[in-house]
Amino acid sequence: MTAEPLLEVRDLGKRFAARAGRDAPAWVIQGLSFAVSDGEFLTIIGPSGSGKTTLLNMIAQIDTASSGTVRFQSEAAPINDAKSLNPGLSCKIGYVTQEDNLLPWRTTLQNVLFPLRVQGRLNDKTRAHAETLIKAVGLAGFESHYPHELSGGMRKRASLIRTLVYDPPVILMDEPFGALDAQTRVQLQEDLLRLWELGRKTIIFVTHDIAEAIALGDRTLVLSRAPAQVAGEHVITIARPRDIRGIMGHPEFGMLYQSIRAQVQ
Amino acid sequence: MSTTESALDLAAEASPIKWRQYAVTIGRIALALALLAAWKIGADRAGPIYVADPVKVAQRIVEDLSSGALLRHIYVTLRLAGIGFAIGCFFGVALPFVLRRLPRLTNAIEPYIMASVGVPKYALVPLFILWVGIDDAPKLWLVGLLVFYPVFIAVFAGIRTVDRRLINMARVAGAGEATISREVVWNSLLPFFFASLKIALPRAISATIIGEFLVGNEGLGYLIENSRQNFDTTGVFVGIVVSTAIVLLINAILVWLDRRHSAWRPTDRDMQL
Amino acid sequence: MAAQSSDAAVELRPTPGRGALRSRMDRLLVLVVLLAIWVALSATLGSYWVGSPWGVVTRLGIDLWSGIWHALAFLAGTGWTESALGLMTRPTNLASGGEILIHASYTLYEAVAGFLIGAIPAAALPFLLRRLPIVTAIIDPFMVGGYGAPKLALAPLFILWFGIGIESKIALVAITVFFIVYFSALAGIRALDAKLVQMAQVAGASERAVARHIVFPGAVPYIFTGFRIAMPYSIGGAVIAELISANRGLGYLIQLGAMNFDTTGVFVALVAVTCIVFVGNWSVDIVERWLLRWRPPADARAELKS
Repeated sequence: MTAEPLLEVRDLGKRFAARAGRDAPAWVIQGLSFAVSDGEFLTIIGPSGSGKTTLLNMIAQIDTASSGTVRFQSEAAPINDAKSLNPGLSCKIGYVTQEDNLLPWRTTLQNVLFPLRVQGRLNDKTRAHAETLIKAVGLAGFESHYPHELSGGMRKRASLIRTLVYDPPVILMDEPFGALDAQTRVQLQEDLLRLWELGRKTIIFVTHDIAEAIALGDRTLVLSRAPAQVAGEHVITIARPRDIRGIMGHPEFGMLYQSIRAQVQ
Repeated sequence: MSTTESALDLAAEASPIKWRQYAVTIGRIALALALLAAWKIGADRAGPIYVADPVKVAQRIVEDLSSGALLRHIYVTLRLAGIGFAIGCFFGVALPFVLRRLPRLTNAIEPYIMASVGVPKYALVPLFILWVGIDDAPKLWLVGLLVFYPVFIAVFAGIRTVDRRLINMARVAGAGEATISREVVWNSLLPFFFASLKIALPRAISATIIGEFLVGNEGLGYLIENSRQNFDTTGVFVGIVVSTAIVLLINAILVWLDRRHSAWRPTDRDMQL
Repeated sequence: MAAQSSDAAVELRPTPGRGALRSRMDRLLVLVVLLAIWVALSATLGSYWVGSPWGVVTRLGIDLWSGIWHALAFLAGTGWTESALGLMTRPTNLASGGEILIHASYTLYEAVAGFLIGAIPAAALPFLLRRLPIVTAIIDPFMVGGYGAPKLALAPLFILWFGIGIESKIALVAITVFFIVYFSALAGIRALDAKLVQMAQVAGASERAVARHIVFPGAVPYIFTGFRIAMPYSIGGAVIAELISANRGLGYLIQLGAMNFDTTGVFVALVAVTCIVFVGNWSVDIVERWLLRWRPPADARAELKS
């Protein structure tokens, strides 16, 4: 791990234009700053409506920022001007969104291979890698299925490995397991950690679930309500590899949970 | 209860759905035969000028088919319909893609495009004849316009409803503008486009036929109208029967094609255009 | 690569406020440009090609004006209205007296009569057959065939049967409208909310009461959609039949103008046809809005459905 943070967010702010009938435009995010090191798994907790998705959209450069900067590998990303946005920062930032956003007219395999295809990196090696990932998340045998034939959990997994397959150095995740049942969620959390251990990517994982944030992350940031800022930072002292199913029994868990909970008000 | 009744009851309980299907099929055959019979009776009663005898109509169809005259008419009509359809489709698809990049212009001309939908295009045929003469050209304009409108409106609506999140996903994954147009936009609007084709293709053929009522000396429409002017009712019926058969056949083929290519769609979205 | 804030659909409509004014100005500009092109073409190419804009305006104006006067004369007695009319038309030397209106009324009559004759049985049929699903199933392929078949191709046949007058046009419009409205009404019957029917039956409603209070009001929106779709076909059908063979009506006027190379006349008739279509659309809208006062606006309706 290098000393220089891989991704740095400084004084980030986002203000949405006033809609007809309302008064002043509201700042959703204001003065938000944090940094992520290479290979770090950072979790971000915030209440609903605290602009978590907006934050990730700005980092991924799908959305413009009203103020502040995002620096990637010490270079500022052009996020203040809509025309110069570079979504995904030329494939260096992957983004697993809340909705699976699978292409409905493509099969599972075609969806997973999609980034490789558009980046021109489709070859035997990458295909094999995709197959490995498909097996790793338990989607083997469903390669020729269309998204509407898959369950919600399966679609989530497909969208997850679609981002993993092209190995971006940074991966953003927006409550990827939020809409799933508890069983599937735990399974996917384990899958995710297992895959992450293999590659040690840099991950920024947004959630509203405190237990999930503690279980997965090296470090957790707590966001305040709008206008969102970093309300607190907690280093997760639980050693890896983590036991997701038994995490709540870990001695450190209780204290962490309490202190984080207190801040999330 | 008689034995027949109890037997029927048993059978009905056993598979009521099967019985219903049989009843429906028998009813349909009966209705078709009844309609044919009514036609024949009508021909006998009303006289050859008003209602052509179905037997004679069938004979004439066979005659004209073997002599090639009917095939010639069919070919002329379908050829013109096909060309007009291609032209109308091309512009109907291309224009929304162009307008997609020019939102201000699109917004400015939208009310006029919508208003022009209200003008009955058939009423423009005499004007087209004044403008481009009396050969195929005015008919091509008619067919082109009649195909253009439903295709344009459908593709235009389809482009507007492309899921922005899919486009964002594709951009983050590294897709360029051209790939996005091809992969996301085009695939998203395919259902809209196909729905419009189901309307536009039969319409292209009807439009050609009606155009041929007004101008030209070949084609199914010419056959119908010319027969009428000569009081050749059999010819009129032949033209109508053949035209209807062709259009219904094309409809059936389109429905079949649509079903084959909709594997990825969760529901049968039949759009009302 | 331009990206906007993450809405689900591409936004092509202007936002309210400053954007709306600019949009109106844009549209006005387009209208002015279109008219300017028309005038320019007319001046350079001559009135054979695009008619004369001024000619269209004056003829329409005079026709309407004299038409109104004739109507007044009919209502109030001839005397002074005739001399006033003579005074006004003398400078233009046009003898026409509300010609457009007369022909328009023929076309309109054909369209409306045909529409009623076709639409009413078509809307009623699914109701009558509601308790006989087997009959509906039996006739379904015939109805689908009738819907798909090109009805306008029957125009010469109807002219053969009914002659050159309005009956042939009415028949054509009726058969065209019939199939369209039938399927819309059928959809309305099929979209019946079974729970509402159950509620009514529990409350003690008879079969007929259920039909009148639940089935019918539920089907009305669908029927009106059918009306709205069928309306342009009714006017179009009347005009097409007139183009082929007629001695009255706007289609006849179009054909007459074309034969006399009187492009201005053709344009005048076309403008009249378009006006009728707009009036037709507008009337269907008004009636529907009145009949469906109970419906929440469209967005709320979408929420209710989910």
